[in-house]
Amino acid sequence: MSPENQTTPYIPDWNEVRSALAQAARERILILDGAMGTMIQRLKLGEENFRGERFKDWKLPLQGNNDLLVLTEPQRIEDIHFDYFMAGADIAETNTFSATSVAQADYACESAVYDINFQGVLVARRAAQRAEAADGRRRFVAGALGPTNKTSSMSTDVNSPGHRAITFDQLVVAYGEAIRGLVDAGADLLLFETITDTLNTKAGIFAAQRLFEERGIDVPIMISGTITDLSGRTLSGQTPTAFWYSVRHANPVTIGLNCALGANAMRAHLGELSDVADTFICAYPNAGLPNAFGQYDETPEFMAEQIEGFAAAGYVNIVGGCCGSTPEHIRAIAQAVSKHQPRAVPETEKLLRLAGLEPFTLTKDIPFVNVGERTNVTGSARFRKLITAGDYTAALEVARDQVANGAQIIDINMDEGLIDSEQVMIEYLNLLAAEPDVAKVPLMIDSSKWEVIEAGLKCVQGKALVNSISMKEGEEQFLKYARLVRAYGAAVVVMAFDEQGQADTLERKVEICKRAYKLLTEDVGFPPEDIVFDPNVFAIATGIEEHNGYGVAFIEATKIITETLPHVHISGGISNLSFSFRGNEPVREAMHAVFLYYAIQNGMDMGIVNAGQLAVYESIEPELRTACEDVILNRDPGATDRLLALAERYRGTAGKEVAAKDLSWREKSVEERIAHALVNGITEYIDADTEEARLKLPRPLHVIEGPLMSGMGIVGDLFGSGKMFLPQVVKSARVMKQAVALLLPYMEAEKNADGNATGRQSAGKVLMATVKGDVHDIGKNIVGVVLSCNNYEIIDLGVMVPAAKILQTARDENVDIIGLSGLITPSLDEMAHVASEMEREGFDIPLLIGGATTSRVHTAVKIHPRYSAGQAVHVNDASRAVGVVGNLLSKDTKVSFIEDIRAQYAKAAAAHERAESEKQRIPLAKARANAFKPDWSDYTPPEPSFLGTRTFDGFDLAELAEYIDWTPFFQTWELKGRYPAILEDERQGEAARSLFEDAQKMLSQIIAEKWFRPRAVIGFWPANAVGDDIRLYKDGARTEELATLFTLRQQLTRRDGKPNMALSDFVAPAGIGKPDYMGGFVVTAGIEEVEIAERFEKRNDDYSSILVKALADRFAEAMAEYMHLRVRKDFWGYAADENLSNDELLTEIYRGIRPAPGYPAQPDHTEKTTLFRLLEAEKNAGVTLTESYAMWPGSSVSGIYFSHPDAYYFGVAKVERDQVLDYAQRKNMSVQDVERWLGPILNYIPGPSIVAAE
Amino acid sequence: MKAEPIPVKLVTEVGHLLTLDPDTALLRLPANSGHGHQDGEQCIACAARTDVRALLFDLWEGARQGLRPAFKSVVVDATAVADQGRVVAALTGKLPAQALRDHTVARLFYLAG
Repeated sequence: MSPENQTTPYIPDWNEVRSALAQAARERILILDGAMGTMIQRLKLGEENFRGERFKDWKLPLQGNNDLLVLTEPQRIEDIHFDYFMAGADIAETNTFSATSVAQADYACESAVYDINFQGVLVARRAAQRAEAADGRRRFVAGALGPTNKTSSMSTDVNSPGHRAITFDQLVVAYGEAIRGLVDAGADLLLFETITDTLNTKAGIFAAQRLFEERGIDVPIMISGTITDLSGRTLSGQTPTAFWYSVRHANPVTIGLNCALGANAMRAHLGELSDVADTFICAYPNAGLPNAFGQYDETPEFMAEQIEGFAAAGYVNIVGGCCGSTPEHIRAIAQAVSKHQPRAVPETEKLLRLAGLEPFTLTKDIPFVNVGERTNVTGSARFRKLITAGDYTAALEVARDQVANGAQIIDINMDEGLIDSEQVMIEYLNLLAAEPDVAKVPLMIDSSKWEVIEAGLKCVQGKALVNSISMKEGEEQFLKYARLVRAYGAAVVVMAFDEQGQADTLERKVEICKRAYKLLTEDVGFPPEDIVFDPNVFAIATGIEEHNGYGVAFIEATKIITETLPHVHISGGISNLSFSFRGNEPVREAMHAVFLYYAIQNGMDMGIVNAGQLAVYESIEPELRTACEDVILNRDPGATDRLLALAERYRGTAGKEVAAKDLSWREKSVEERIAHALVNGITEYIDADTEEARLKLPRPLHVIEGPLMSGMGIVGDLFGSGKMFLPQVVKSARVMKQAVALLLPYMEAEKNADGNATGRQSAGKVLMATVKGDVHDIGKNIVGVVLSCNNYEIIDLGVMVPAAKILQTARDENVDIIGLSGLITPSLDEMAHVASEMEREGFDIPLLIGGATTSRVHTAVKIHPRYSAGQAVHVNDASRAVGVVGNLLSKDTKVSFIEDIRAQYAKAAAAHERAESEKQRIPLAKARANAFKPDWSDYTPPEPSFLGTRTFDGFDLAELAEYIDWTPFFQTWELKGRYPAILEDERQGEAARSLFEDAQKMLSQIIAEKWFRPRAVIGFWPANAVGDDIRLYKDGARTEELATLFTLRQQLTRRDGKPNMALSDFVAPAGIGKPDYMGGFVVTAGIEEVEIAERFEKRNDDYSSILVKALADRFAEAMAEYMHLRVRKDFWGYAADENLSNDELLTEIYRGIRPAPGYPAQPDHTEKTTLFRLLEAEKNAGVTLTESYAMWPGSSVSGIYFSHPDAYYFGVAKVERDQVLDYAQRKNMSVQDVERWLGPILNYIPGPSIVAAE
Repeated sequence: MKAEPIPVKLVTEVGHLLTLDPDTALLRLPANSGHGHQDGEQCIACAARTDVRALLFDLWEGARQGLRPAFKSVVVDATAVADQGRVVAALTGKLPAQALRDHTVARLFYLAG
């Protein structure tokens, strides 16, 4: 078959092409062809030549659309190719430079794009085959891909630098189509040439690789840039080396330069590329520049001489010509370079090479890369404010300053809940690209969201660093992200994070990094030098023992990872380390410096650091340095305490420095100062400012109604819109109260002096109380504070308030609203009782219901129907309270608001009733038949080390503090999330950290000054189950009964084969010869908390008052956890070798349970009576029970211990009347009493009517 | 390194003389003719030799790299240019930017009077 007749494409084996070309290029300097445009110009073709048959009726003129000629004048183009081949060219470029839909749009020829590319290859192939037939030498066809005529890395409008005429995605589509045409037609190579915009080319590479992946092929790629500026930059501003680093991920067979200002002007840039590129170099300059007569001024001989200079210098492997060159030029060049050896491709060191407009190489001379963190919204409050306010000009200044201050890479993070992170990332990066003094450095694209990272990668022409990906979503997702990172040409930070969570131990850190390394290098083909591991820097010196080893674990992991995984890097967010010292900058800086000192020695070479705030290791005061080292290297258990103690000394200096820095607000007007103090919770100056305002304004009252209320208005708005959090609001209230306290005497005096003076006008009076029998008041106090911030007058009756007192006070004080609070379930009944009493006494003011066990359904079903004269409203959190009270007291909205509430409650009640009637309960006998029956035959219940009770006193508060579970602490303050993750939560993190810091401060004071005196009593007794009861015996003989603990059984319909549980199932039944035991406990943080809280309240410091109560609660819980641990390990001793970390303790994976009466496993609060009697809790621990069986003091925990390995926490859920009757009989209580205490879990409506019906 | 913007004076008529002081650089724009391109458009390589922005950038780069004396103002002689409107457009940010340097020039230079 003669080549001329060839119509079906010849598809090469691209792997063979690659090796053949490489082989040839190592042996001699290969020759690329010369200009096509110049040759076409010589043909002096007319419009009709361009149109041919296919385009004869085209509406637009087509002359000048050279690429069309492969369709309309194929033979002429083939002949030009042939001439070049015969002049000595080894490789021909197809005539497809402008054949993308983007460039063809100028001629409306988008529809011809595929055909041009396809036919362009066939035309060149025919010429190649003719040439091969003529002289037997192999020829190659390179599919040419031009830069398109649009640019994605910058704006065409200098007045709108963030604008883009085309996006990465659009270019991927356009290049994809062209490449498909070239590949379908069997092009040996793809040649991205005359590159003016690296991002465009990256899109082209991305498109090519997608196609290769789809087809399982690997077409060799050639890449050729253009440099025209005196500065030696590409049009998009990159240096040759930066350009190379940015496209290196294409693994091109050649990199090089073409076009531009002639051979001479290219020489220096070529030399630069030749030094850095570990692949072949290809150069094909213009034949000089066109002169005044339209002729290129370099003759074949002159041009050949210049190019021979490249060859003599050992710069090139392939040469050719661009604009102005002809077959004569190529012949001359081929002859000239044939005397020279091709350039030897250098081996380059495996180093991390990144690029902005300029290259960055992490060489051994750079011990540590500071990644600038100021352009990170999660790391810089200032930057966050600028970004959320949309002030990009100032936000770009932040980036500029960082680079000016020496940041080698800058971290860009837009993970802020209030903005569209993806869009803002795009906008910021686009604007940043137009700032050469910022864009010169490589970027770290940082987000926890992959979409944001991907959007960012599509905006940067340089080689960026992605922060980060991990295996937390599993291997498949990890591999997917890693492949994409590679396809976008970026390096990557990999977090030591897998399906099980973040690695905290040395072993896990190393294991996860090893696994990731293997996957990346073997499955993805990721260059190991482009991998940066972040083995997680965690907070140390938190007071929690297991955190003490985090610093050492990181440092040791760093050593092992860098020693065992060649070429990788280690990075980390250093500021995490010192979280517990927030606000104490000198100590934080010292900790960071010491940590880095050791981490760098062990291989850490990168970190996100505020470079301006890093102490120099040597210049740290020796005592502080030693203390930091002890903590970081975890040298001994006392290290944290020593650093904490030492830190106090530095706190003062830091405070002064910070204040000095921030004092600008002090120069504003007194009104603005007061607003600032309120919003930021600063009490320091409020007395002076209030006094100044008092003297300035006519009357003291005006200070309250003016600046104070408007400041609190701002606080309210910020809180309402989720920009401030509860702890911050409570701090604001503290400022407010102080100011009001200062004004009160003046207002009194004024009243006395002038009888006409009216008092302060509040928005309304709210009476608040924790109901009779209940002692829990943190939630109530918080609501009170929030309401008082909004100008409501609060009358707080405290805890355990009888209904009569509530109603009397409400009448006397003429209050507008009553708010009831309670935590334990009996309080639900008490609230219903208060509601009935209000109805009976003729009240009609709104009644608010709140507290942990309350619910909308309960309010709708149990309270609302009893108070028809007024309105009961369930308020589930403090943030809603203001809105509810405001609506209820407003004449405008009250009616519609109440209508709304009633409609909601009717719906909730109906849904509840429906749900209840659908819930099938089974008869008690059937439930008992399906009891949980462990195999007792080969199980011997463990025997406790003592019987009877034992009391404990003199606890070490510091030791107990280590057992604190902080998650519920944050819940108390309505900050939702798990500790410690909440500290870094993007929305609540700041508030959480500040709260945590205050809590740590108070905690150390509690410990140092022994504020609490915790006590505990535990006991063990011989016991066996008798039916659903647990019988306790006086002694081991088990003849004399001591007491009976009654339990309730689940009556749920079980379809899943699960048993119907009762707690008694965990105790060996009597009569099978298995002596078993029961334990019980009461622990308390002590009564002292109450007095301390009151002291704070008197000082108008609700914040500290609530804080101390919350901490006392945590201490009680921590004691329960601690005592349980000792019971398992020592006193009962069935788990003597248990060795769990604190976090594991909190997940309760240990053997045995400690359920409390009144909670789901045994909802009957009255069972506490038996427990307290057995333990003599009042005598032994100072804890008593109220009439509602709440414990006093409030910060107490009680429960019973079960040791059976299968024991677990379950919920009894609703019970039927048959069980209630049975239970009442067993317990010797009246049915009514049982029904009262079990009210919330009855699956029927008790009452006389039902009794009568039976 | 925020530099003061540099004023650019444009000369469009032959014979119009401007006094040049040592702080003023003179830029003569070549006639944008005789170009090899059929469509009359600049190619990127030609632009580097004819486009006023590219030439201003080279001036500034040259001064920055110490290849020529520093200057505080520039006189652009555009008398040889056929389409002077294009020069004015380029200096007032109305001509589409082709390169990052065009953004830089837009910030560094302004058309005076």
